[in-house]
Amino acid sequence: MSTLLENHIVELLQERNEKAISLLYDNYANTLLGVANKVVRDPDLAQDVVQESFVKIWKKADTYDPKKAKLFTWLFRITRNTAIDKLRSVNTKSDKEIQIDVSDVYTLGVESTRPELMDVKEHLGKIEYKYQIVLEALFFQGMTQQEASDELDIPLGTIKSRLKIGLRELGKIYGPALIAMLLNVVL
Amino acid sequence: MKDKIKIFLDSDLLEKHLLGTTTDMETMQVERYIAMYPEVRDTYVELQDNLAIFAKQYAIEAPQGLKDLIHARIKSERSGRKRFFSYAIAASITAIMFAGISTFFWNQNQSLQEEKSVVSNKIKLLEENMKEQLEDVRNQFIVLNNPQTKKYNVKGNQKAKDLKAVAYINPVKKLSYINVSKLPHIPESQCFQMWAEVNGKMINLGIIEEAGDQQKLMALPYADNAIGYITIEQKGGNQTPSVENIVANIAY
Repeated sequence: MSTLLENHIVELLQERNEKAISLLYDNYANTLLGVANKVVRDPDLAQDVVQESFVKIWKKADTYDPKKAKLFTWLFRITRNTAIDKLRSVNTKSDKEIQIDVSDVYTLGVESTRPELMDVKEHLGKIEYKYQIVLEALFFQGMTQQEASDELDIPLGTIKSRLKIGLRELGKIYGPALIAMLLNVVL
Repeated sequence: MKDKIKIFLDSDLLEKHLLGTTTDMETMQVERYIAMYPEVRDTYVELQDNLAIFAKQYAIEAPQGLKDLIHARIKSERSGRKRFFSYAIAASITAIMFAGISTFFWNQNQSLQEEKSVVSNKIKLLEENMKEQLEDVRNQFIVLNNPQTKKYNVKGNQKAKDLKAVAYINPVKKLSYINVSKLPHIPESQCFQMWAEVNGKMINLGIIEEAGDQQKLMALPYADNAIGYITIEQKGGNQTPSVENIVANIAY
């Protein structure tokens, strides 16, 4: 994602131009849908989450401050929170407890896999599983670090260090140049 | 300074901030560190890039039609907002009109209430006045028709030879009246004033008007061995009688 395009989208958003939504969708919808799906684990519900997230993005456009966070970080936070809220309301409605099973890795159907992502996925395989489960628990399951520590039966200190190392591992695997390229190609 | 940055980076505040799960206090601290220290800023940028990479691995091809659904929802959101504003304007106008009408009725109600209290006060006064007058007329009737009533002709002294009055005294009913039938001519700056000495106290009975009073009976306070006086006073009357100006007296 080029900074130029990102700036253009932000400008359109703040002008309340609907083209912003179109551009956001074209560039981020797949990733945000994946994030939502990872949290709610229901493709239909994930689509509802993405719809609601886009409405929130549209409504909250004037609160976005590029100096405080990158555009994707902001979009990710909104989608993640919307998904977690959705999951809670669905679980409350069905009077079920939130079942968190981190070993239940979501499997993508072949038809929904984007070929250009295959390379990324291969690389991701290189992140050790112990880091990946911590990142997923914190990013997608809506767990606090303490909850992740209890759920995964891993000491809190280890959770903290795995989160830190896990995120940095990604950077090491790809290298800054590859990250820049991926950001442009994938997003 | 380096230690401070290291401690900050070793904490998980930056990671929590990345997810937006920091408290308000923590957010302020993180934003301050990001603004102040390039090292923290670079780490935060790196974390954001890594988050994007991490999230992207879960990307799913969005189904056809999702984009249209989103556009439709945003359109309805916008028109909903427009509708909300038009409702808000209509509601505001209604509220202003209602407030105006309420104020108008409130004012009217206030003035009507004021008027009502004025009218009821007037009625009260009239009633009291009427009662007094009735009582007076009743007493006059008693005095004039009672056989025990004594009639005294009063004449003025040398200062007012033309003064003629008739006093009616009823010792049984303890009522007394005087009818001043004729008053001598005096300068405009002067007037006749009626007094009564009752139990050693001088009581002011008021000014005798020349015109219209000829047929009127003036009540005198009754007491045994009381004396009524008529004096000439400065126009407007006096607080105490001018003894040198006594023109008539009535002992009853």
